[in-house]
Amino acid sequence: MRLLVLLFIGIGIFIACKKDKVGYESTPYVLEIPAHFPDMPIPEDNPFTVEGVELGRFLFYEKKLSRDNSISCASCHSPEAAFSDPNKYSVGVDGIQGTRNSMALINLGWQKFFFWDGRAKSLEEQILEPIPNPIEMHQSWKDAVAKLEADPVYRNRFYKAFGEPGIDSMKVSMAIAQFLRTMISANSTYDVMYKSEFGFPLSAEEQSKLAGVTPEQWAGYDLFKSMNGADCLHCHSGAMMQINKFSNNGLDASFSDLGRGAVTGNPNDDGKFKIPTLRNIALSAPYMHDGRFATLEEVIEHYSSGVVQSPTIDVLMEHAAMGGVQLDAEQKGLVKTFLLTLTDFSFINNPKFRDPN
Amino acid sequence: MRKSRFLIVLSSVFLLFSCKEDDIVPPTPVVDQLKITMQPVYGATPLALEQVVLTPEGYKVQFTGLKCYFTSLKNGSKTLTQAALYDFAENGTLVTQVDGKPSDFNSLAGFLGVDPSYNHSDPSAFPNENPLNIMIANDMHWDWNPGYIFLKVEAKVDTLDDGVDNFNHFVVFHVGSDQIIQPLSFSNLNWVNSGNGIHSLALKVDLLKFLQNGTNSLDLKTEYTSHNMSGQEAISLKVIEQFKNAISLY
Repeated sequence: MRLLVLLFIGIGIFIACKKDKVGYESTPYVLEIPAHFPDMPIPEDNPFTVEGVELGRFLFYEKKLSRDNSISCASCHSPEAAFSDPNKYSVGVDGIQGTRNSMALINLGWQKFFFWDGRAKSLEEQILEPIPNPIEMHQSWKDAVAKLEADPVYRNRFYKAFGEPGIDSMKVSMAIAQFLRTMISANSTYDVMYKSEFGFPLSAEEQSKLAGVTPEQWAGYDLFKSMNGADCLHCHSGAMMQINKFSNNGLDASFSDLGRGAVTGNPNDDGKFKIPTLRNIALSAPYMHDGRFATLEEVIEHYSSGVVQSPTIDVLMEHAAMGGVQLDAEQKGLVKTFLLTLTDFSFINNPKFRDPN
Repeated sequence: MRKSRFLIVLSSVFLLFSCKEDDIVPPTPVVDQLKITMQPVYGATPLALEQVVLTPEGYKVQFTGLKCYFTSLKNGSKTLTQAALYDFAENGTLVTQVDGKPSDFNSLAGFLGVDPSYNHSDPSAFPNENPLNIMIANDMHWDWNPGYIFLKVEAKVDTLDDGVDNFNHFVVFHVGSDQIIQPLSFSNLNWVNSGNGIHSLALKVDLLKFLQNGTNSLDLKTEYTSHNMSGQEAISLKVIEQFKNAISLY
């Protein structure tokens, strides 16, 4: 009988232990979506938590993720450069240059594909690439995880972020993705122009900003949108200042970098690259996938007179036969004036996005 | 005796837990779904994007993009869907796939274009999965007035018959606005059971008919652009009417 009682107690303990796993309850993170933005689609398997976002921020600036502890994500996505790289090509830990310009990290929660060629379908997938990439951080995930595991502070942060002990590449990627999704830029002069244009209520601060919009900025905006003007609207519109699409915008007659075509294997995609946002464009030079243009003036000149025909050129480059939209000097100046309204200083200077160390 | 009593109790405990863990899960009932597809054809032949075909005038043309909205698809008081976005490049022939029973939709009426009652709504305010949400609409929305782009037909044309392929003449029809919305209707629908509860209805859009339908024709050499700007009303209307008249049951 005593054996029977012991058996029941044993089974009871076993069941109790199995059912009630001890873990840390992470705190849900409430993301504020700007009124003129759509809802952000959040992956069901990576919900926001306060601890996850905070961990992601530390990891974004963590140089241990590179083989020689010399570079972090922020090395090629610097806050001062709208989270891009002011150099034409970023340089990895072995001193090797990449072949494409680092993209600005802005409003990534609304992107549908990542990298200039769109080879990653999610932010989490994108983040997995640079660490083992030989021309970037050049460190195996195993080594990167081991370095983080050796640090009790990180062990604790991961535990709090994911409610269970252990670190792996997916958790690193998920935490950084959470942090990057919080990096919302929606407070530029363009935002108040856009909101006033479409009847969104404006705060007192926004009213004041709107009152300061100059006639030249409005004229530049009109020109930017006009099909018979700069015709930028086809690819850069709405609150995001971009559409989700790959395009050949007439840079080259033949392609040294196939871009999207190298991913799909479809020759019709050769020379096509992701259309980037124009938000904070004044801060994210150099421009284009290969950083070939150093200034906004050069970019405007390209669309005005430098467009080159090729078999995959986007039909939206409607003025390609003439080499571009043929703006005069005044019009070019107005377009640039408008592009400067896209700078969001509160985003660039937001302490929540800066190095926490 | 004690040993056999112990074994009985032990067996009962295992039986209890095994019964508790492995509840019998009833099979999930199959939900009827209705799926509409639209295959682009050129005359009698299915058409792929970038495929070279000849216009009625004899020019070589490559269609590079085909997108359109169908909205307020209903049969009387029964709504099939508020909106469907057809994007041949991204989604192939799929127009929409939604819950519904074929018996409820032996006829369908709706619009080619976006119903004026929501054409000017905030495109960010629609639910994430709604094709009218800006994240899905993407480049099918230009701003709230006129609202959504109803139809996009994009192509490259070689207008010179010189034996050299040079598709440097671009066709960009981006049309929309409440004034040119096109009512559509189909009756005596034959939904085909495709298995797993899915019932399919196949449409086709004949792009040869889009270019020439009886005496109505679009000459891509001279009629090649519209963005609903002032002065483009006539070509916009012509484009969407020609497209609508090119759609039929497959």
